[in-house]
Amino acid sequence: MIEGEDLRLFEQSLHRATRTHTGAALDAALAELGWPDALAADPHAAVSLVFGLQGAANVTSTALDRVLAHALGHDAAVVLPALGQCSAPGGWQAGRLSVHGIGTASLGERTTALIVAHGTGPDVLVEAETASLTWRPAGGLDPSLGLVEITGEVAGAWPVGPADWSAAVTIGQLALGHELVGASRGMLDLAREHALQRIQFGRPIATFQAVRHRLAETLIAVEAAAATLDAAWLDGGPQMAAMAKASAGRGARVAARHCQQVLAGIGFTAEHPFHHYLRRVLVLEQLLGATRCLTRELGQEILERGQLPAPLPL
Amino acid sequence: MELDAFRKSLDDWLDEQQSELAPGFAGAGPLEAKMAQIAKVRRLAFDAGWARWGWPQRVGGFGGSTLLRAYLSEAVTVRDLVEPGLYSMPEVLGPSVLTFARPELSAAMLPPLLRGDEVWCQGFSEPGTGSNLASLTCRAERVTGDREGWRVTGQKVWTSLSQYAQRCVLLTRTGPAESAHKGITALFADMDSPGITIRPLQTMDGEQEFAEVFFDDVFVPLDRTLGEPGQGWTLAMDLLPYERSTALWQRAAWLHQRLRDLVGAAEPGALDPVALGEVTQLVYAFRARSRTTQRRMAAGEHLGPETSIDKVLLATAEQALFDLVAEALPAAVTTGDDPESERWRAEFIYSRASTIYGGTAEIQRNIIARRLLDLGGDR
Repeated sequence: MIEGEDLRLFEQSLHRATRTHTGAALDAALAELGWPDALAADPHAAVSLVFGLQGAANVTSTALDRVLAHALGHDAAVVLPALGQCSAPGGWQAGRLSVHGIGTASLGERTTALIVAHGTGPDVLVEAETASLTWRPAGGLDPSLGLVEITGEVAGAWPVGPADWSAAVTIGQLALGHELVGASRGMLDLAREHALQRIQFGRPIATFQAVRHRLAETLIAVEAAAATLDAAWLDGGPQMAAMAKASAGRGARVAARHCQQVLAGIGFTAEHPFHHYLRRVLVLEQLLGATRCLTRELGQEILERGQLPAPLPL
Repeated sequence: MELDAFRKSLDDWLDEQQSELAPGFAGAGPLEAKMAQIAKVRRLAFDAGWARWGWPQRVGGFGGSTLLRAYLSEAVTVRDLVEPGLYSMPEVLGPSVLTFARPELSAAMLPPLLRGDEVWCQGFSEPGTGSNLASLTCRAERVTGDREGWRVTGQKVWTSLSQYAQRCVLLTRTGPAESAHKGITALFADMDSPGITIRPLQTMDGEQEFAEVFFDDVFVPLDRTLGEPGQGWTLAMDLLPYERSTALWQRAAWLHQRLRDLVGAAEPGALDPVALGEVTQLVYAFRARSRTTQRRMAAGEHLGPETSIDKVLLATAEQALFDLVAEALPAAVTTGDDPESERWRAEFIYSRASTIYGGTAEIQRNIIARRLLDLGGDR
């Protein structure tokens, strides 16, 4: 466990790193700060800090890859499920691998990729040469994430053992949840600053109740998601992690809607940084299970089992 | 005692005493019966010691973490022994009286409250003073001579359970009319004092849960002043976070239990999976938030404006849950006359008030904007 003064200093260093670097430079800075070791020693602290800060600073890294690879016990680029989905991205039948998934920026840096595949039995962890994958860039809304779409059959893939895909999804959803909460706080900071500075009718627009309530609504949604994330770490199970990801996704949509409205014209321009956050949260919300999909699955599970997830004890 | 040990032994006791503790009515029951049931549960839990944990020894408690109190309220709620809104009143009024009353007064008054021998009410709102609490006008004039004290004249409204209450935590105007929050003094009044008239108000679900309370030259002894004269606003600011937070853990337990009951009661196909999933997420998010607040209180942290978020999350989750109830169990809410239907209907109706009582949804957002987001004044 990283605690007390160590935790404070670690957070400070990570804060500096995310405020000064992005992409490969941020990966290098994280490695230098010992973040990969922290991930093994204290996943809760390592994941919540880096993803929260990365979201707030609107920067990118391959940290999600590292988190998933760590959960799967292998070191390689990890293929994510197709957009919106959270089921394993691969199919493994008679020694042949087919993939329908999303690759992250680390695919370009790695020679091997990890793909969890459904087989006839338990999920299988399969490695493949990244060069053997068929992909097309999926820049779309947020090209700086460097996502690619991977489809088709893969020649030259080999199974490396059974895979605990659920554990990987669980921690991946928590990571994305923290990044969405961080990005929501980032948007709230931008809107709050604007509301205090922008003068209309001779006074800051922050004095108008309509504006104040939009910002309050944003903070409520963000804190609800943050509390659910804390609960999911305590709980440790997949259902609570999925709930946390869904709450964070919904919170980010609430934050984006209200903050953009408060920012008004300037928030619709490319000159103001808001749009980077909007792009980021819309794409992150689709990774490892979109909010609506996770919410429907939760409802279906409850109806099928006839019981609710175990509530967090006091 | 530690929480885990407390949980285990309390659960065992509740199981053993089930027949003794169970209410003698089905469904929601009339208010009289609910109040009698709460008094019975409090008395049994106090006499067996459970209700004394988490309160300091100087007021008849056994000490220990406030989490023990919170767990007791959860345990009696999930067993359907008490109605949570009515039961949580000592959690709202108790902590501030503990802080502001003279030690002799709190030592005398808290044990009968915790044992269910007495009921307290909260005399804050007035006809002209709803959201703007600092504008209250119920007047207290200082009297000297043989009997030192205050003479109170004015009116309170929305005073929950005042017709059952022996005591009232009462906010009065002691400064000049324009003194706003500076000129308010808190008193601890006996409800059987001459000059108090109570006129119950009927709510839309047919209950007389709250009332108008008229004070006509009512004498309150000086030693019943809570804190110093002029400190009433400080007491109110101390009290409101409890009303908006620690008392709410029990509501989280109740919402969870009623969501579970809904899943059990709904016909196949009546619950839309997306709507059910979303309500579940809201109920669990509120519970997660409330748990953090209980833990903060137990760690001795000061509770302040951040508890407005707890209140908003409760109101949002509660209304979303009972909106779903109305969709999935339409006959229960609209036309059913069996005890279970009546309970669903009463709870649906009561959920409409969750964005109104204890500070409206708008007031909570004003507090969040000013105090948590630091947006400055609103003009």
